[in-house]
Order: sequence, then structure tokens, then C-alpha cells
Amino acid sequence: MKALSPFAGLAVAEIDRRLAGPGLRWRSGPFVIQLRARNIPRLGEQLAFLYAAHPVIDPPWEEVADTHLDLIRSGGWRRWWRAQAIMEEDGARPLQPFPLDHALPLFEWGWNFIIASRGNRYLMLHTAALSPDGERALILPGLPGSGKSTLAAALALRGWRLLSDEFALVRPEDGRVMPLARPVALKNSSIGVIRDFDPKAEFGPLFPKTRKGTVAHLKPPPASVAAMDRSCRPAWVVAPRFESGAGASLQPMAPEAAFLMIAANAFNYEVQGELGFQAVARIVRNCTIHTLTFGDLSEAVALLAELVAS
Amino acid sequence: MTTPPADGHALLAVLREPGSYAAWSVTGRDGLLRLARRHGLLGTLAERLVADGLWEALPRREREILTGSRRVAAENARLLTWEVGRIRRAFFGSGIPVTLLKGCAYHLAALPMARGRMAADVDILVDWEDLPLVEKLLGQHGWRHVKVDPYDQLYYRQWMHELPPMRHWERGREVDIHHTILPRTSRLKPKARDLLQASVAARPDDPGIRVLAPTDMLLHAMTHLFYDSDFEGQLRNLVDIDALLRHFASQPGFWEGLWSRAEGLDLALPCHYGLRYCARLMETPIPAYLLARSNRGAPPAPVAMVMDRLVPRGLVPAALGNPPALASRLAGWLLYVRSHWLRMPLGLLFGHLLRKSRKRIRGHVWDRRAV
Repeated sequence: MKALSPFAGLAVAEIDRRLAGPGLRWRSGPFVIQLRARNIPRLGEQLAFLYAAHPVIDPPWEEVADTHLDLIRSGGWRRWWRAQAIMEEDGARPLQPFPLDHALPLFEWGWNFIIASRGNRYLMLHTAALSPDGERALILPGLPGSGKSTLAAALALRGWRLLSDEFALVRPEDGRVMPLARPVALKNSSIGVIRDFDPKAEFGPLFPKTRKGTVAHLKPPPASVAAMDRSCRPAWVVAPRFESGAGASLQPMAPEAAFLMIAANAFNYEVQGELGFQAVARIVRNCTIHTLTFGDLSEAVALLAELVAS
Repeated sequence: MTTPPADGHALLAVLREPGSYAAWSVTGRDGLLRLARRHGLLGTLAERLVADGLWEALPRREREILTGSRRVAAENARLLTWEVGRIRRAFFGSGIPVTLLKGCAYHLAALPMARGRMAADVDILVDWEDLPLVEKLLGQHGWRHVKVDPYDQLYYRQWMHELPPMRHWERGREVDIHHTILPRTSRLKPKARDLLQASVAARPDDPGIRVLAPTDMLLHAMTHLFYDSDFEGQLRNLVDIDALLRHFASQPGFWEGLWSRAEGLDLALPCHYGLRYCARLMETPIPAYLLARSNRGAPPAPVAMVMDRLVPRGLVPAALGNPPALASRLAGWLLYVRSHWLRMPLGLLFGHLLRKSRKRIRGHVWDRRAV
């Protein structure tokens, strides 16, 4: 194996050069991406900050990439006036263009979209996942707005290993969760909540007025990135529900209800067929399962620390 | 070391000889995988590598990528089987069999070439006289028309070979109800009743689900590609035809029967093209006597010369990332014009295009979308 240089070891000018030329290739968890982007201001610098600890893969490449993405600057009259960033994958354009200065959120959502539609080697749960000890995983399923990303960010800032804020990648054969230590996308008020929770939290730029409101990306903890090849065994499932003013409390959940919740929450439960059924059954059998109502982040974090210690 | 481009010809060569995949450089394999995905051939490539015992030797990341495509294709096959069962249930007691066409037929007949192959919709063939009943039965069982515009409805019913597609309200799957295999306005007039009469049970233990007889299945695939498409993005259909020919070649009398059936169904021209270009582009082992005989269906020499130049350019894509050469774009345009020329008489075509473009200009296209 070749030695890999982290993003942080590359000058921004070199990142830009690769983006504009053959492509910048790096890996997060099991997925290798090759990104090309030409004439998109600041993207190289933003990636260098958020992915600082990720390994960049230098050419000549010894493996194929999972994904080849191009970010293209719009042409014609849109080249200068209300310029847009367009995402292209192998000649197809699966997402609507974004304003040019929102190229980073476009990239992050674009990569999520590609993983959700292509990562079918895994049972993909639409959940955050973290590990308190590097071996056991806590899975946080929840609808948008349930506070799972906020909770994931808070736990990561308290020293939990971030496995993912968006995907729990379950290997159907052995039920283990593969990490994908990408930046955590936070929206609207949760950005301020996390800033208040930990003033040392490192955020990328604020992107106002995206389709999902204001978005900012939290840099993943370097230790989580360094450990992103080590899978974890699911041990707890906690379905969070943010409720303004509520005290933090855990309620046990019946396994049959948990099974349906997890299966319905997966991106590709049906695709996995019998493997998917077995994988969800294994999670339900082996995990302690609760719902968590919370109104205060610190209380929720303390309660989860208690749960995993017991 | 110079690497040859991972273009459509390279992909066809690897599908033909999966053993040659490993000889490609990493960059080459990367390009082949991407091109295969773009053309709906990734699952097919995966299954061919598996069938030839090459799976375990694949580099780990490639195996992971292909594992994903195999799982998706397996899920697609399950869904198709389920959907066909639902259609059969809707037809229950009516005496109308479910006769499947295209990808769905390959799957339900469990042809080896169907492994890894995706099919979006279910295509069925029914007798013209049964159409009103079929439409009613599907309507009673939850299928709804997708095209709600009166002109679209009229367009399909008057000129096409199928009814406007119907979609199940809950499952979202579409069924295309064909009453023949070429537009009613087409210059060739194969008789659907002949196809239905010769149809066979998809599996020996179940006479209620039928597929076209081997020769007819091929002639339909050939007609679809070489007489009713513009070749753009149709590489997979060529791969299908090649695979069907290779599969049925072992049946006694298959080759002899193919040509006489083509002539009998008025499909000599598409059959000629199908055999000719499969032999040229896929090296399909077609008996020499049949290739010679099928020249009886060839177009006039000047047309044949032009087609020999256009078809490979229009059908076989360049490597990804390389914009198509001007000659390929021109070929694509000419083939597009040809496909419409074959579909309907000029007067009708002109009226149709005028109508379509007027609608487009009025900007109602988005408002009228039913999805």
C-alpha cells in the first residue's frame, strides 16, 4: 500500500490544481470519491478544512473509485449572471443546480444522494451512528427534525467516535456498522445550539437560504476519521425526539415496533431481500432499544452516557 | 503504457469474454464499470463475471460495487415477478393469458441472460379485440392512466402499438399494454395474432404466464432496436439480442426457423439488420448460410452502405468523459430522423411534431405532468 497524505498535508493550490485537472481522490469509510471541479471559487479551501484528516489518494491509482463526480460551472448567460454549480455523474445530472457559492452543500448532498442510491452493498439505515468505546455502536434513527444530527454532533464533541451523521452502513453478513466519518451537516437553529454546546466546535462556512434553510458543516473529529476503517457492533438503538422544554427521558421500545421502525427507516431494506430481514432482526435481538424525548442537549448527552455505562 | 479507451466496443468485448476484464488497467476497469452503469449493463457484467468463475479474483472494491448492482437487480426481478402475479390476478377468470414481452419475459422465463438485467416496466401483449376488457380489468384492480392529456391518449390509441401506459396507484409500477409490436402507422405490419398463437408458457408448470416463442422473442427484440429506435443509449438491446441468439442456438431447428419466421411476419428487414450487426459488433456465432440468406432482407445497396457507417456510431458509445465526435453526433441525428421516418407517414409525422412543439412553446408541458 502506498502511504496516503491527509488533505491537511496538501496546499490549497495543489487541491485546486487536482480538482481542475485529473480529479481529487479521497476516501471516507468504505467509499472512494474522485471529484473534479473547475472554476468553482473556494471549494478547494472548504474541502481542505472539512476533510483535513481524510486520506487523499495520490495517482497512479491502484483501485477503481466508487464515485466520479464533476462539479461544473453553468455556461451561457448563467456563466456570469447568477452562476450555478451543476453536479454531473458519468454524464447524468441527477440533482437540480445550486447557486455557485453553494457548491459545497451541493457536493455534500450530491455525495449523500449517490451513496444512498449506490451503496447497496450495505443495508443503509437513515440514521446517525456513534460509538462510546470504539467497539459498540449507538444507532440514532429519526425523522428529519428529530434532532438526530444535533445529537450526533454533540456526542462527537463529547468524545464519542462519529460513525456517521446520516448513514449507518450495516454489513448484512455480520451485522457490523461501517464508519463513514464525513462532516456533519447541521441546519438552522441546530447550528447555534451546537455552537453554544461547545464553543470549540469547528464549522465550515455558513450557507444561508439553501433549499433546507441555513446549513453549516461540522468538521468530524480527527480521531473518528483516523478510526474509520474499524467497524462497530450495534448495541443500542435510540430513537430521539426533540420536544421543546421537555426533560430528557428514555422509554424502552418493544422489539416488534423497533423492527418496523428500523426497516422503514432504511434507504434500501427491500433491496437487501432476506439479508435485510436478517440484518434488522439481528439488530433488534442484540440491541437495547429506547425512544428518547429531550428538550435540552446536555441532559440528553448525559442520559445517553448513563445508558451506555449501565 | 498506453491504455485503449474504455468505450462501448471495449465493454462489448468484456461482456463477450469476461475473462478479458482482468487484463485491463485500473483506469480501464474504472471506465468500463462507469460505462456499464450508464448503459444499464453493470448487473449483467457482474453476473457474467460470476458465471465464468471470476468473482473471487476481482479486486475487493470492484466486488463491492458489483455486489450492490447484483442486489438491486435481484430486487428488480422479485418486483417483476410480483407485479406479473398481480396482473394475472386482475385477468383471472377472463380467459386472457398474461403474455409478457421484453425484459420481463426474459426474467419470468428464467433465461440465464436475464440475470443482473434490470427492467423498469411490465410489457404485455394482448389481442386487439381484448383491449377494452384488459383496460377495464386493470382499471378495476388499481391501475390508472399515466397520460391524462386527451391528445396523448388519442396519439397512442390511433397510431401506436400500445395503449397509453397505466400505473398502479399504490405500487407505482407501470404496465405497457401492447396490441402489436410496431406502431400502427409503421411501414411493416407484423400480425400480433400470429405471435400470440405461437406463444409458449414461460415455465413448464404454469400455462397462465406466457412469453413469445424463441424466434418471435428475437424478432421482437430486433424489430424494437433496428426498426423502432434511434439507437441512442440502446447498447443493452444489442447485448440482449446477442445473448438470446447464443442461448437459443442450441435448440434444434432454431436457426432454420428464424429466417422463415422473419419473412412470414414481415420482419425480414429488422432481422437482417439484427443478424448483421450482432455478427459485426458482438461476434455472435451465426451460421454463414443464414447470414447469406438474410441478405435477401437487406435494404438497397446505398442504404446498406450508409447504415453500415451509421449504426456502429449511433449504437456503440464513446468512452465516458470524451464528448462524442461530430461524426457520431451526425450519425445520431440521422438515425433519429430515420426512426421517425419509419414510424409514420410524413404527413402524420409533420402534424404530430407541430402539435408537440406548439404545446412545448405554450409551456404547458410541466403543468400536464401526471407524476
